[in-house]
Amino acid sequence: MADEIFYWQALNRALDELMAVDEAIFILGEDVGLYGGSYRVTEGLYAKYGEWRVRDTPISEGSFTGLGVGAALMGMRPVVEIMTVNFALLALDAIINMAAKVPFMSGGAFPMGLTVRMPGGVAKQLAAQHSQRLEHTLMNVPGLRIVVPATPQDAYWQLKQAVLSDEPVIVLEHELLYFSKGQVDETLPPPPPHRALCRRQGRDLTIIAYSKMAALAEQAAEKLVAQGIDAEVIDLRSLSPIDWHTCAESVARTHRLLIVEEDCRFAGAGAEIAATLTERCFTQLEVAPLRLGGLDIPTPYNGRLEAQTIPQVEDIVAAAKQLFN
Amino acid sequence: MKHPITMPVLSDTMETGRLVRWLKKPGDSIKKGEVIAEVESDKALMELEAFQDGFLAGPLAQENSDIPVKTVIGWIAESREEALAEAPQPETKPAPEPSKATSEAAAPVPAAEEAQLKVESQTGPGALPPASQPATFQASSPVLQAALSARPTESGGMTPLARELVQELDIDPQTLAPGADGVIRARQVLAAALSAPAPDLRYSADYEIKRPSGLREKIAENMAATTATPMFQLTARVHLTKLHDLAKQRELSLTLLMARVSAVTVQKHPLVNAVWTPKGLAWRKQVDVAIAVDTPDGLISPVLRDVAGRPLEELAEDWRILKDKTQRRRLQPSDYEGAGFYLSNLGVFPRVLWFDAIVPLGASAILAVAAADKAGRCALTISCDHRVLAGADAARFMEDLSEAIEKAQVD
Amino acid sequence: MDRDQALAFLHDMTLARAFEERAAQEYMQGNIAGFLHLYPGEEAVAVGVLHACEASDYIVTTYREHVHALVRGVPAEEVMAELFGKSHGCSRGMGGSMHLFDAERRFMGGYAIVGETYPVAVGIGYGIVLKDLPEAVICFFGDGAVNQGTFHESLNMAALWKLPVLFVCENNQYQIGTEIHRHSAVPEVYKRASAYRIPAERVDGMDVLKVYEATQHALQQIRAGTGPQLIECVTYRFRGHSMADPGSYRPPVEVKAFQQVDPVEMALRELSLAYPSPEQIATAGPDCLLRLREYCLDQGHLHEESIKDLEQKVQAEVEAAVQFALECPEPTMDDAWDALLCNRNGEVLT
Repeated sequence: MADEIFYWQALNRALDELMAVDEAIFILGEDVGLYGGSYRVTEGLYAKYGEWRVRDTPISEGSFTGLGVGAALMGMRPVVEIMTVNFALLALDAIINMAAKVPFMSGGAFPMGLTVRMPGGVAKQLAAQHSQRLEHTLMNVPGLRIVVPATPQDAYWQLKQAVLSDEPVIVLEHELLYFSKGQVDETLPPPPPHRALCRRQGRDLTIIAYSKMAALAEQAAEKLVAQGIDAEVIDLRSLSPIDWHTCAESVARTHRLLIVEEDCRFAGAGAEIAATLTERCFTQLEVAPLRLGGLDIPTPYNGRLEAQTIPQVEDIVAAAKQLFN
Repeated sequence: MKHPITMPVLSDTMETGRLVRWLKKPGDSIKKGEVIAEVESDKALMELEAFQDGFLAGPLAQENSDIPVKTVIGWIAESREEALAEAPQPETKPAPEPSKATSEAAAPVPAAEEAQLKVESQTGPGALPPASQPATFQASSPVLQAALSARPTESGGMTPLARELVQELDIDPQTLAPGADGVIRARQVLAAALSAPAPDLRYSADYEIKRPSGLREKIAENMAATTATPMFQLTARVHLTKLHDLAKQRELSLTLLMARVSAVTVQKHPLVNAVWTPKGLAWRKQVDVAIAVDTPDGLISPVLRDVAGRPLEELAEDWRILKDKTQRRRLQPSDYEGAGFYLSNLGVFPRVLWFDAIVPLGASAILAVAAADKAGRCALTISCDHRVLAGADAARFMEDLSEAIEKAQVD
Repeated sequence: MDRDQALAFLHDMTLARAFEERAAQEYMQGNIAGFLHLYPGEEAVAVGVLHACEASDYIVTTYREHVHALVRGVPAEEVMAELFGKSHGCSRGMGGSMHLFDAERRFMGGYAIVGETYPVAVGIGYGIVLKDLPEAVICFFGDGAVNQGTFHESLNMAALWKLPVLFVCENNQYQIGTEIHRHSAVPEVYKRASAYRIPAERVDGMDVLKVYEATQHALQQIRAGTGPQLIECVTYRFRGHSMADPGSYRPPVEVKAFQQVDPVEMALRELSLAYPSPEQIATAGPDCLLRLREYCLDQGHLHEESIKDLEQKVQAEVEAAVQFALECPEPTMDDAWDALLCNRNGEVLT
């Protein structure tokens, strides 16, 4: 019987199991070692594997991520933790100009087994510099894979797959998911890392979401039953590539599409999803797709305002009803 | 005066804390800044410091228990006497309301699930009590407004799916009527595809289009929907004289007696009362008979409930009320929906020798009663859903029914 | 140092300590949220540096900046209201603990991404030179921030163009949980400045007078047009990195040792006319608040009663700040949009 564990524990378990068997894997980041990681993800690993495999770095995101690129080039599997997605802005040169480009520019001569983990999203009143979502920026970079696990099981699977991948993989972890619980069964065979997951089947409407919003969408779908709307909820799990087949197949059945994202609505991930599915499923649409996203405003510190800038369950319910007017 | 100690908020993600242990016991003197307990947050083991000088007082929350943040877990009294005076209260009792000054600071503690929701939705300083929460989530939430800001602005037109269906089903778009919002959707196209082709009026005499009454429109829709039902008819000749006499004698309408005799017979043939559904046959446990009534607005069929199981007088009273409601157009759906058997009596038209009726959705059979001739004989025609009833089933039912009518067996 | 000055130091340091302790309390009760980084132990740095500045100087600082704002003169009410996320906070409830701003007092903000303060300060310094004014800009940063690329890039430019920037390192010896010897190859931050020929000195950051004097001296040089200077204040935070951090990675003996040198206590002592005896130093240790208090007593600046009065006055100030913050209205979504579009100057997009 699979046990219920925290999301951070699932990540921790994935790293531990891999590091035990593959010495090419090492972790680096700010306070990942002695301190055990800001969200406990690397807890206990420093004691077990030592400082060379769990490296506390200076606050030098650009360079220690670049270090990861160099190590990956010579066959290592570095797992870089960037304390929050917001600090990844300092590492974008290493991620975008190096990790995503070098294998290509070398004519395919080098592996890039680099994994970059970064917590992000709107947590609890961390203000505008600590509440960002950068998926839109990273999605626009060919050469990167981006996974967005929403459950402990997916966190376990997708981090393992990321570390063992020869492509650079960005793991976007939502700060409010670390202390959510779920079952993790290590014996189950994982689906492909980019496979979207239907979290709830429904006939009338397709709701596509990812990361924390997938859970909210599922809650909204249960509330919609009382309104006579049977919604299908798809958790993307991966933002690059996106499992278009699963999405399109669902939209072709329900003819209605609602996209929920926490990121700002303008030029966000939802824009790509809406555009592509409109292209692919145009003749199947009964109503224009609807994107429910974060407001196009920096996140205010004030808690009430913060809540108003990102979708809540009630917003998803109301948006879904709009599609049946 | 006692000051509450609450489960502290020790991190940005903490929702509950584990009270690991108390480092003081009731009556112990404590200094501001002194560590009085150990608390485990989601991130680490932390020390809980006293905010003021005083004496630890109960009731104290249990060690090794998980407690939502901001819940009162103990007290600081101003004197040792006060700290010890208080008889410990049962653990389960909700913590007393903190004094005014602190109650503003420490918002009332919602139930655990509510706390969860609250955290999702609103984590503001000076958090509002849950009662005023929903205000955040009106239809006018800024996020929703933004999402709806880019909806198609023009009404009218056809959705892509409707357009696709129009082509695939080869339907003339001119014949399509849009829905209430002016847009033609798949629903309208499919309705048009299933309905009979619209009459071609190009060479017709001059005409004027009038919207039918709501009732007539509904009848048209319902009747059109029955085209999917495979039907057959069967006619019997029956002497009505006895039943007629009984009606006169008991001052009841012949229609009501027909309904009664039918219901009693249906009870013996429960298949007649069943109906075909996609999941299987729905067998009904009582016989509800609908009786077609001609009104200026169109046809409507009020339903008499449990016609086989109740005294005739009671049915007669119900029927009077239903007819009255019909005349005053006060029928509710509960008055005319859900019948298992239908009866249509055209006995007031003596020249109509016989007719058949259409089985409405929701039933498997309808009985059409024509006028009696001079010898007292009339034609009874039953229309049946062939998915439920076979010819022989219907024939057996009609044999029994005819006999019951001829013998006027109303009970 | 005259009596007024000594009293001003003592007031600010006492207020700083009381304000931060109260902020911790309000956080635990849920009135303050997010990340809260507190300053106890480091008061001598902000007080010593900022008292040596002119009102016309600019201040750029980090996310551990409540005390800098207070010492700079931002009313405690407005700082507390901002911590509460309220509309009369100094950032109108949009910034919170890590992002305090006050344009009027040239308090150019708290920045929450490590290493952001240098280029901002360099830009301000550049503007000062262009305007040819006798002003300076104070750039605070922590020891953890010196390994960010912007440190080197900015120091180079500041030195290259002789910009009036005073770089102040608040070296509390920890980058969150990583001790300085584990994060820096050269743990003496001031030595790094020599790579850019920036005059630099290391001072006891638990001693408000030493910080004050070093700052005065550095600013004199800067105003003379000789270019940037760097002061490394060696200090210690008594609490964890933020509220979420118990600071358990630090050996208790180390924490105790530094608590002995509480800057506030130490400040008292150090202000004494007679040099303290070795015994006094041994018993007082480096807490700057303790030191200062003792000094004032010895100087005859203060009696025990006046210390009590001062503490009561400061408590009342903090209490008033909390009351103000509690009663202050929440900002609205309109306020948020106004903040975002504050520079649109009424332009209507069509």
